[in-house]
Amino acid sequence: MIDTSDIRKNLKLLIDGDPWIIVDFQFVKPGKGQAFTRTKIKNLITGNVIERTYKSGEKLEEARIDESEMAFLYSQGGAYTFMDNATYEQVELTEDQVGDAKNFLVENMNVEMLFFDGRPISIEVPNFVNLQIVDCEPATKGDTVSGATKPAKLSTGHTVNVPLFVNNEEWIVIDTRDGSYVERVKK
Amino acid sequence: MNQRGAGLNRFPGDFAGTLRLRHAITKDIRRFFDDRGYLEVETPLRVPCPCMDIYVDAFPAGASYFLSASPEFHMKRLLRLGVERMYQVTRAFRAEEAGRHHSAEFTMLEWYRTGTDYLGIREETGDLVRFLAESLGRRCAALRFPFPAMTVSELYASRAGWDPCACWDETRYFRDWAERIEPALAGLGAFFLMDFPAPLAALARLHPDNPAVCQRFELFINGLEIGNAYSELLDYGEHVARFDRAAAERVRMGRQPYPPDRGFLDALELGLPACGGIAVGVDRLVMALLGLDDIGLVQAFPAERL
Repeated sequence: MIDTSDIRKNLKLLIDGDPWIIVDFQFVKPGKGQAFTRTKIKNLITGNVIERTYKSGEKLEEARIDESEMAFLYSQGGAYTFMDNATYEQVELTEDQVGDAKNFLVENMNVEMLFFDGRPISIEVPNFVNLQIVDCEPATKGDTVSGATKPAKLSTGHTVNVPLFVNNEEWIVIDTRDGSYVERVKK
Repeated sequence: MNQRGAGLNRFPGDFAGTLRLRHAITKDIRRFFDDRGYLEVETPLRVPCPCMDIYVDAFPAGASYFLSASPEFHMKRLLRLGVERMYQVTRAFRAEEAGRHHSAEFTMLEWYRTGTDYLGIREETGDLVRFLAESLGRRCAALRFPFPAMTVSELYASRAGWDPCACWDETRYFRDWAERIEPALAGLGAFFLMDFPAPLAALARLHPDNPAVCQRFELFINGLEIGNAYSELLDYGEHVARFDRAAAERVRMGRQPYPPDRGFLDALELGLPACGGIAVGVDRLVMALLGLDDIGLVQAFPAERL
């Protein structure tokens, strides 16, 4: 067993038989009062996000989640097919299970697939991925400081705001945690 | 080892700039009190009695000693010397407190003034924050003065639907604080939270007209608890009873009880002058003035960089 002092982002908990992941937390303690940790947790099976408050020192149970490195092969009709890099076994996930990660998946990308009780439940993509722009207005020279942006459609279908100096068909780095533009891929 | 070492020297943003602003603020704090005739004092960090708080865990510091969680007992003992105004900027230690707004070691500003009560301290606290904000000028986050006041009863009525002063329920009070009150604080800007329920009096006097509440306030700025003030309790017998109650409660909770502060009780028995006092978290005050929401952005060495 672990307790509230072990709480951190991405910790996986077993609550009422379901696996949950901590997406955010805040230690709350009035100077002269009881301490609590307020958490925002996501159900790894349903994707449901709720808030839960734990009293300091309360015991928690860690969820046993197995991870395997998988390569993304292709998607078809809402099904996403991955291959285990060690066993070459193929696994199919639904669009719901893939979640927001679908915005960043390109063929042959390596992802971590999470298994609970032997069943695949979701995937985790790397924090930073390189993706190609397939549709945006041509770059305008000179304006690198104003912070103005324009929308750019990526090869995955996801649209991000990029600075004006970025060109169509360029490769850019995306932060998958919030889906935002980071920088141009350095050549 | 390498992994742990990786972030130790990674300071946020323009940290040298933050340190300069922090230095300017602490210089201004001293200037504010020096100009008002306050005496700056120093009290020990290694003490036999770290505090009286049930919910504060002190670090043991050798047999029969703890690291101080607050300088208040020693500062009040100095009031016996006839010093009417005194302040201190010191370190305070509270185990098991870590988070965006908490650090186990932090800087505390504490001051006492005789011949006044918590309302006099409230006025002076507002003056101090205004003085610091004006000195920072454009670099200060937007604050509007004077700060309004709201009672604990009013805050709980509007956000939690009940009045803890009328009908005390400690478990419900602190759970509601964590789930309903604290999340709403950031939206309330800067304000004084007045008149806590009597069971949370700590070292404050009860209200003479309404013993269900005590003369205690806290200052909040944009969700940060900045300071905690009292009309100081001076009654010897009541102090003995509160020390005993706190120790018994800590034993009940399975925590180490703290011994009463003998020197402080002696001073009370001999008699202390009527006074008000306040403790202000300097790290959080710096955060509030600069508009920052993580104590690691204003402390050079928070837990993750130790």
